[in-house]
Amino acid sequence: MTRPMHPTSPMGTMARAIAMAMALLPVVLSAAVPAHAQGSDDGTTIAFRVGKVITMDDEERVINNAVVLVQNGRITQVGRARAVEIPAGSRVIEQPQAWLVPGLVELHNHTAGALGDLNDLVYLANPGLRSLETVVPESPNVKRARAGGVTTALLIPGSGTNITGFGTIVKFSGPTVDDMVVQSPGSLKVAQAGNPERYWFGVGRTMMNYNTRRTLEGAKAYHDAWVRFESGESAERPRFNPIYEDFRGLFTWDMIASVHTQQYQVVMTTVDMLANRLGLFTVLDHSTFDAWKTAPLVLEAGHVMTICGPRAFYLDPTQRRFNGIAARWWQGGLRDLGINTDAPVIPQEELSYQAAMGVYYGWKPYEALKGITRIGARALRIESRVGSIEVGKDADFGLWTGDPIDPRSQCLMTVIDGRVHYDAAVQRVF
Amino acid sequence: MSTCPPVAGRLRRLALCLVSAVLGAAGPAWAQAPAPPSKLALTGARIIPVAGDDIDDGTILIEDGLIVAVGREVSIPYDAMEVDCTGLVLMPGMIDPDSFRGLDIPNENIPVVPFLDVYDAIDPSRLYFEDALRSGITTVHVMQGPNCAISAVSRVVRPIGLSVGEMTIAPEVALKLVTSPRSGADRMEQMFRLRDAFARMRYDFDTLAETKYEEAQKKASKPVDVAPAEARRRGADLVRETDLGDPIRNLVRLSRGAIIPFFHAVTATDLRNAVRFAEEEKILDRAVFIVGTDAHRAIAELTRVRRPVVIGPALVERRVDPDTEEIVETFLPAVLHAAGIPFAIRPDPDGSLAERYLTYQAAVCVRGGVPRDEALRAITLRPAEMLGLADRLGSIEPGKRANIVALTGDPLDFSSWVEHAWIDGVHAYDRSRDHRLQRLLQAGSTGDDESGDDAPAAERTDGTAGAAPAPAAPAPGQRPGRRERIVE
Repeated sequence: MTRPMHPTSPMGTMARAIAMAMALLPVVLSAAVPAHAQGSDDGTTIAFRVGKVITMDDEERVINNAVVLVQNGRITQVGRARAVEIPAGSRVIEQPQAWLVPGLVELHNHTAGALGDLNDLVYLANPGLRSLETVVPESPNVKRARAGGVTTALLIPGSGTNITGFGTIVKFSGPTVDDMVVQSPGSLKVAQAGNPERYWFGVGRTMMNYNTRRTLEGAKAYHDAWVRFESGESAERPRFNPIYEDFRGLFTWDMIASVHTQQYQVVMTTVDMLANRLGLFTVLDHSTFDAWKTAPLVLEAGHVMTICGPRAFYLDPTQRRFNGIAARWWQGGLRDLGINTDAPVIPQEELSYQAAMGVYYGWKPYEALKGITRIGARALRIESRVGSIEVGKDADFGLWTGDPIDPRSQCLMTVIDGRVHYDAAVQRVF
Repeated sequence: MSTCPPVAGRLRRLALCLVSAVLGAAGPAWAQAPAPPSKLALTGARIIPVAGDDIDDGTILIEDGLIVAVGREVSIPYDAMEVDCTGLVLMPGMIDPDSFRGLDIPNENIPVVPFLDVYDAIDPSRLYFEDALRSGITTVHVMQGPNCAISAVSRVVRPIGLSVGEMTIAPEVALKLVTSPRSGADRMEQMFRLRDAFARMRYDFDTLAETKYEEAQKKASKPVDVAPAEARRRGADLVRETDLGDPIRNLVRLSRGAIIPFFHAVTATDLRNAVRFAEEEKILDRAVFIVGTDAHRAIAELTRVRRPVVIGPALVERRVDPDTEEIVETFLPAVLHAAGIPFAIRPDPDGSLAERYLTYQAAVCVRGGVPRDEALRAITLRPAEMLGLADRLGSIEPGKRANIVALTGDPLDFSSWVEHAWIDGVHAYDRSRDHRLQRLLQAGSTGDDESGDDAPAAERTDGTAGAAPAPAAPAPGQRPGRRERIVE
């Protein structure tokens, strides 16, 4: 499929959009050709000439009047427009007013498939399940997510039991599942408390935590036995166990524990059990209510990240005052702080709006933007590939009319692996 | 922590600060508070040590969280910080002998759960702990409730700390064995559950012991040439605690004396069943009986076994004679005292009556004929003895943990307030900084003032890590709070 990229003519935005719409009318109407066909990995260079690039790189550079070059799905150059030479033959996307922002990263998404696939409430802990098997490419949810500038997500099972299965890290590209998957299993979904209580006739925290710990300790014993065998320390070949096998990446930090956890005691237990005792790379999802009061414990543990949401504030009855959740975590010293939507609880495309809510209740705008880009990538341990606009990284970004944290801003174009997967000028989603 | 008075919050952070210092970690800004003094002298107070006679104008010297000297003539080291307690009464921190209030729910939906641990459900942020500290309780025995047959293993904690680890005084202390029928069960079914659990434990243990013996013989290239019963007997010593599976481990430890059986027996019938069961299972020598006011009908059994009991919150049994309509009252503490049975008292933290306060419970005992000394022991030293912690808790004596409560007057005088509490020598409670109490006591206030700043230091970026200043006390005759809106 070959289609012209944006014309570089000096036409106004509206005129350009109309022109594009006219040109692409047959394609749009047929709807048989999805947007992901746009772009190339044939060696062609695409140049994004924009008003501002929020790089989210290690120096946290913000480059005004910048050019970003993309080739074969990777970023090849980032710099001031006058310093970057656009190679002849490049396709140039000229948006001198727009912001180029890293693709947004969502840590807590349940829209992989139908809601019937969300929870298998068989046991109190259900390892061995994979959200991979529920992924539907190019679903309406995927398309709307892209329109909100979201490029990467962790698709996870629900929180109906203490362990609901393994998550899948995907990009919202297509058209096949293979095209989407970045890593599977990409996480272990643990729900520490706050839903699994409803299992059977009701379960309390002594039983839930006992069962979760026992399951994880069983998996760790399995992993340790294999490590001993593989390193030659033991000649005894462990018996293969299809359930525990998927856990192994958890103990080498090739996979994270993403934990549905909220409220003081529950988050305290997550940090104690998963991070401190089992040594897992732990991501606290939700982290709402008064969970921020555990900040000293989280800081002490070291390898715990906090991804708040979808609730942005908590009315503390013991203090009788509102607390902005992200702001409180920030004040508590947390710097690895992100935001999630729990889609479809909050629609995936409103990730930036959730971050804006965090700011409304006292957080910092730049940190909120970082929280849904670089921090999200760090929490998924794929920071070397996504989350920032740097040379060598995947060309995943959104072209915005302004700061994504400003609710008035809209995403004009979403690029994943150097391909334009959403273009508002072609077909606006909202 | 919002859920503890600010001073307790500071203690928590100090504790954490110390941990950071030990680990050599760079402390975050909020950990810059000064460490608590390692030596502390509480001077000028009347001291009720519980062990021994009261001391007027006495001194308690504390070093590294332990009491090192008590008396009138205690020389204060040059490097000790002195706290003038003139006019106050110092007594040991009180002990709640049985409480499920720090947990998410009292019981699981499974009747026999000795493989579980309350560690997994204790919530340091529960207001119960703050309330306990406010009323002078410095130690809480957290057990699951009685709606089970065998509970999770319990834990003795301080009502302060950011995590359960910081709170813990003693882990895996007791199991609750309930002989009163739980919800949905009758008395026979309830007792069957207990017998069944112990029978299974013995069967599993014996099987393991036999296996262990056979393994040992095989390893030593010796034949197994004894009868199975003898093999089980010889193998019993070879079984280590780590060999035991989760379902039986704590029951084996209980029958070996490492875990305390706390029987919960509400009626006299339940109590007789509990005593019989304890004797049959040979676990009487450490047994404690949590009883109801009906227990006086089983006083013969109690007198025979002479084991301590936990009573309360109700202390008086009132029965109406169906013929005469005469009300017959029996005051259980007096019956127990007359029979020479040591007892500890539970408070009623959920109630709005004075039973919330252990000092009130002790005062009621005195009214009912229990000597003052024994009444005070019932809320301090007795529970410590039952929990096997009398070497550390329960009285003001050299060598014990410095858990001390300062009251404005005699503890049995109900107009006395808890003014301060020290836990392990750290100033954990200060009434002048207890904003929630002050708000409660502001008559006519709707409490919409801004005085209650008890947010954690974690949110303070200026490194002060301290409590907010106490709000100014209202002038006499002035109504604080909304006074500008009150037309009188």
